[in-house]
Amino acid sequence: MTTSDKNPIHKIIGGKIWGLFGSLKFVLFILFSLAILSVIGTVIQQNQPPQFYVGEYGSKWASLIFSIGLENMYHAWWFSILLIFLVANIIVCTIDRFPPKWKATLETKIDIDAKFIKNIANNHTIVLQDEPQAVKENILNILHKKRYKIKEANTTEGISLYAWKGITGRFGSDVVHVSLLLTLVGAILGSIFGFKDFGAFYEGEVTTIPVVDFQFGADRSWHGIPLPKIERQKRASDIQLRLDKFWIDYYETGQIKQYNSILTLSDSGREVIKGKQIWVNAPLHYHGLTFYQSSYGIAYDRVKQAEFVLKDSKTHKTAVQPFQAAWNIPYDIPGTDYRIKVVSFVSDFGYDPTTKTIFPKSAEHNNPAINVEIYKNGKPVARPWLFYNYADLFAQIPDSDYELVFRGYKGIVYTGLSINRDPGTAIVWIGAALMIIGCCMAFFIFHKRIWMYVRKNRNETEVHLGGMINKNKFTFERELLEIVESIGGIKK
Amino acid sequence: MKVIMSLLFFDMAFWFYFATMLFYFAYWITKKELLGQASTVLAIISTFAIFMMLVFRTKESGHAPFSNLYESMTFFVWVISIAYLIMEFRYKIRVIGAFVMAIVFVAMFATSNLPYRFQDIQPLNPALQSIWFELHVFSAFIGYAGFGIAFGMAIIYLIKARFEERKASHFLIDRFPLSAILDELSYKSVAWGFIFFTLGALILGAVWANKAWGTYWSWDPKETWSLITWFVYAAYLHARVTRGWRGKKAAYVAIFGFLSTIFLYWGVSFVLPGLHAYASQ
Repeated sequence: MTTSDKNPIHKIIGGKIWGLFGSLKFVLFILFSLAILSVIGTVIQQNQPPQFYVGEYGSKWASLIFSIGLENMYHAWWFSILLIFLVANIIVCTIDRFPPKWKATLETKIDIDAKFIKNIANNHTIVLQDEPQAVKENILNILHKKRYKIKEANTTEGISLYAWKGITGRFGSDVVHVSLLLTLVGAILGSIFGFKDFGAFYEGEVTTIPVVDFQFGADRSWHGIPLPKIERQKRASDIQLRLDKFWIDYYETGQIKQYNSILTLSDSGREVIKGKQIWVNAPLHYHGLTFYQSSYGIAYDRVKQAEFVLKDSKTHKTAVQPFQAAWNIPYDIPGTDYRIKVVSFVSDFGYDPTTKTIFPKSAEHNNPAINVEIYKNGKPVARPWLFYNYADLFAQIPDSDYELVFRGYKGIVYTGLSINRDPGTAIVWIGAALMIIGCCMAFFIFHKRIWMYVRKNRNETEVHLGGMINKNKFTFERELLEIVESIGGIKK
Repeated sequence: MKVIMSLLFFDMAFWFYFATMLFYFAYWITKKELLGQASTVLAIISTFAIFMMLVFRTKESGHAPFSNLYESMTFFVWVISIAYLIMEFRYKIRVIGAFVMAIVFVAMFATSNLPYRFQDIQPLNPALQSIWFELHVFSAFIGYAGFGIAFGMAIIYLIKARFEERKASHFLIDRFPLSAILDELSYKSVAWGFIFFTLGALILGAVWANKAWGTYWSWDPKETWSLITWFVYAAYLHARVTRGWRGKKAAYVAIFGFLSTIFLYWGVSFVLPGLHAYASQ
């Protein structure tokens, strides 16, 4: 590439880029870069809310983190580019190296002479008294026993032999590289066509499972070229899930042994799976959907029952002994005209003044509040929110001498299920299996090649023997010596 | 008084390994064949003792012996001992034993000094009750052992190669095999380690995670660190066939790789948060 006439600039640059991606040094650079960058991602916690980073690193550093994308770095564009470089590297290296390797390993030179063998680093010369033909037969015998494949050719001066085994070992690295690409393809398919959802399920409740649909559109373009667009739309599926039972097993020491859920699935109104028990490590599969036991918790928006006490609002002395009211069932307070009904609950009271709505700030039971309807002689008189942590607040029943105090509640346990679909998983596993097969091929099958040249030299027979191996040199040297010895020659 | 057999065997193994290490060093210095044979016998006894420890631990806890740091360290010691013994029998190179047994003894020492809460028998939490978990750890630790031996080889290689370059001589260094052989052995250890690490740490880990949490990969610090370690060893394998990287640089990568392995094993559990933080609970 010296003259620019023959090689226009784009070809030179193209060639340079190709050369870069085809070089092993660039592979090393990418591998080390990926390693070093990944370290950063384990030091800076990923996917936390902005305030976390401000609290941890200060606002200056936090904004830097966000501008570079370090808070979600494994999905940052520059990390993806490195992965794309790795893929490009694998592809270019394979295109560069595979065909010549294929040719060299399959089309080996057979008709060689003594000089060719002398140029092999690992060579031996043996002088024997037997006839060349007998020597050749002996050699064939020995090598066959060692499971070599052999080709022979007669040249003007003597017989040349080529023995080889373990060609597959040569292609182990290619298998590994293809397996890597396959794994990545599986991962990408999964990220496009898969979805993951999480839900809290209550015993006896029926929930419709969402699915994500895909549509390919081409309404975007880049310099006039239409770009495919994938739209993900979540919709309700025909599949309904009912939680029949959830329970926790404990060890004798009190530690949790296992979480279990019993699930019933129906598809288009027909029950397809009935009463199947799942636990951690034993999910339920149905039509590409998988249901995992993932967590459990106490409901943040409902209770089983609540405990109240009625007090005299002047003396604050107990007027009516503590009583329990079940969720959404009217309860007549004994000895009074009052009736209450528990209608709402939040585990962590939050109030949005703009919409004037009450919402649970979190699923934690930080500030439990309960909404009660109070009736007197059947007529509604109040609908207060009562607080577990602030018993006095809003406790006064209007126009009465009573205050209603929220003393406690019995929560409802829910099971947390992860639901997902990942059509790429099978490809990832195939890639993984190929990777191990490829590694075994590359590491444990050695491409051994032995060239021999047998010729008559006056009344003696001369055997020139040279061997090559792609790795594991020292063991092969020993093997070659063994072969030389069993051919039975005096080593020169 | 009830004797806890696993502790008894652990203490036995501890002192046997200590003796083994001393004998290998004595053999290295004196080159007396009798000392060499004694070292090998001691190594076999130590390996057997630690094996018995694992057997009794399994019996006492009712689960495979790698649910916490204490158990997994012991398991690591056992695997690396077996791997070393296989290598010694195959290649008849005994002087390397001094280095490998030094690594093993450091591991034993660290294990015996773990705070009691890491040594305690704990029932398995729900996520750990899976055959995939057992296979995952089992295979990953064979990988760790391969990397550990390669690390030892790489250090000796660097020393030896330096002496060869300068044509210097010292009776201790001269007893090591040729640097080219050390390089080859280091590569072999990495190769074995790489296969079991890829299978155990990455693939079986992913299979288990997929069963337990529904995602085969979630960039959890432990996962990421095993990928980092994998990248480093992938770099090592490529360095060995790259001009200008063969030999010394590759040896440094092997050393670096084992440091990454140690962090993957210890550092992540103690320093970084994530799914695998149960090791520190």
